[in-house]
Amino acid sequence: MTDTNFDLSRRSFLDRVLMAAAGAGMTAAAPWAAIAAGTAAATSDRVRIGVIGTGDRGRTLIQNINKTRNCMVAAICDNYEPHLTKARPYVGANTPVYADHRAMLEKGGLDALVIATPLNLHAKHVLDGFDAGLHVWCEKAMARTIPDCSAMVKRSQDSRKILQIGHQRMFHPTYLNALRRAKAGEIGSLTQIRASWHRNNSWRRPVPAGVSDRQINWRLYRDSSAGLMTELATHQLQVGNWFFDAVPTRVMGSGSICFWKDGREVYDHVALIYEYAGGRKLIYTSLLNNARYGCEEQIQGSKGTIEPELGRIFQEVPPKVLALQRMQKDVARGKKRAVPIGGATWFPELPVTTPGESLGWGEYDETMLQFEGFGEAVRANRALPGLLAQAYAASVASLLGEQAMDRGEALTWPTSLVTI
Amino acid sequence: MAVPIPTDVERFMAMGTRIELHRFGAAGADDALLAARRAIEAVDDALTIHRPSATTALNERLLAGETAPVDDPVLFDALVAIDAVHEATFGLFDPAADRRFAVAGWRGIIFDRAAARLCATTPVAFDFGGFGKGFALDRAGAVLRAAGIVSACLSAGESSIAVIGEHPLGGGWPFAVPHPSDPDDSLVQVELIDQSLSISATVGAGTAAPDRAAMLRPDDRAVITAPRCAVAVARTGALAEAMSTALLVADPERADRLIDQDRANRFLFDLPCATARASSARMALQ
Repeated sequence: MTDTNFDLSRRSFLDRVLMAAAGAGMTAAAPWAAIAAGTAAATSDRVRIGVIGTGDRGRTLIQNINKTRNCMVAAICDNYEPHLTKARPYVGANTPVYADHRAMLEKGGLDALVIATPLNLHAKHVLDGFDAGLHVWCEKAMARTIPDCSAMVKRSQDSRKILQIGHQRMFHPTYLNALRRAKAGEIGSLTQIRASWHRNNSWRRPVPAGVSDRQINWRLYRDSSAGLMTELATHQLQVGNWFFDAVPTRVMGSGSICFWKDGREVYDHVALIYEYAGGRKLIYTSLLNNARYGCEEQIQGSKGTIEPELGRIFQEVPPKVLALQRMQKDVARGKKRAVPIGGATWFPELPVTTPGESLGWGEYDETMLQFEGFGEAVRANRALPGLLAQAYAASVASLLGEQAMDRGEALTWPTSLVTI
Repeated sequence: MAVPIPTDVERFMAMGTRIELHRFGAAGADDALLAARRAIEAVDDALTIHRPSATTALNERLLAGETAPVDDPVLFDALVAIDAVHEATFGLFDPAADRRFAVAGWRGIIFDRAAARLCATTPVAFDFGGFGKGFALDRAGAVLRAAGIVSACLSAGESSIAVIGEHPLGGGWPFAVPHPSDPDDSLVQVELIDQSLSISATVGAGTAAPDRAAMLRPDDRAVITAPRCAVAVARTGALAEAMSTALLVADPERADRLIDQDRANRFLFDLPCATARASSARMALQ
């Protein structure tokens, strides 16, 4: 892609974000979007970022930072040399490389950290970053425990440093457009969201010589991850909270190691119900041995349904007026007219298969836009509004769901959370 | 001021669709509609192949190559009716045609009415789709007439209709078959008195429903996938139903022959095409 093409693609992407963010009610629902899309100008004074964790996700983040106009990778750090080796081609030849994040922090020369380490290390790395006077961008989920999530928020507030969590759907034009249309009442009153993330693989990575399974497959072990809940569900719980414009009041669920009995400690099947005020519900399932229904959020209202991963909005099909019912009314009124029949044989309550309408597709750079927004926030020392509250609620929801499954109890939303 | 005409309706689910029985006027026994419902449910119970029934038991015997007794009176009457409509449709309606068995069909079955038993020269199984609803409406209509009903309209999924007597306001019962791609337009309008109507189509809602059997031409096993709609009016629901099915699967030559026998009551539309309305009962819609 040439620079000109890239600029056009970038402009088109940002225009779509701005268009979606300009809808009625969107300023309150997604205040970060217009700010992130409307500000980043090319500058030589780029925000200098140190990246901790250069595994697959960390390297993806580095590539997205490289696409921004206001951020640059100024240092990278990982305690696993093969990850650093793979990351080096994506950064400048003179970019410092560290095996210990403390050495990177002591060296200085950074404005902010990006953290893409195993979940149980997020809190330590974030707090160390704040202690070093840096702003922090951290991958979701926030932390392994709810108290750690709260501690991260509190330290951000106390240190007056920005904490931003990676929830790229909040910058995705399709999601923003979906929310705009939901806010405009196009699918009526939202009462239920069915969300799922179904895969058919073990989620297990090969373990090279010299490292432990727990280092490579940290997602499968309880001390480092809540598995499906923190690595997948947290994205969709954020979407649920966002569209319901609320946090859950209560969660109940069931989890099991049902298929991959390979020594893992986290569930490979989870099914939960999150209740919201007014009787609304988010029904969530995730599993690792059937991919038929994939990843989707079905946002259901009285007038229609939105499926943002599919990128489509569906209107409810109005009930058919029964022809003979009309005939009977005609007779009662002394009227005789042709009865339209035979449109279709009636089948009971089959799924509606209307094609719906596109919410808009394209090549999106929502992860890049997250970083441009972060860079802008760092420059202004003012967080993008609304983002952290969304991320905090999503992480708490995922961890509360884990607890509900572990205990086999319905758990109410915690009252001890930090106010944002 | 006109005196309101008493009306009564019975709605229920049977034969995989919505059944409606509308009675008009005060004549007839109070429980006539309920009795008619029971008649339709009895047909459903006897002819279904979606749960254990007299038909599934019969099919098991025939598939095993055994002679099969027909003990169920409803099934027996259905087979008698099928014998008649099979001939009337030049064999194009054939409830024993089966894609699995190349030579299977009604002609390979020996129906010994006196002994109430069937045997077949090859493995064979019945599927009474394309017949059952019309047959069921015939049985319900007979119950209503016997109960003294003089004006009624019976519907099975709005694709199979039977009327008793005249419309409550006098004259025939007017029905219109909507154009599948233009609900404001109709393919054909008919008026019925003591008649039945059946619509068969390869397009439209419901044609993609689970378990819906393919439309099969019995003699060459051709699966009819071209968009088509057939409409047939007849004295009985069984014949109307079989005739619309036969028209739908018919090759051009036999379609023309069937239509020529009764041009006022048999229609075949090749879709989607058509704004043109040919005078012929067989229409290619542009």
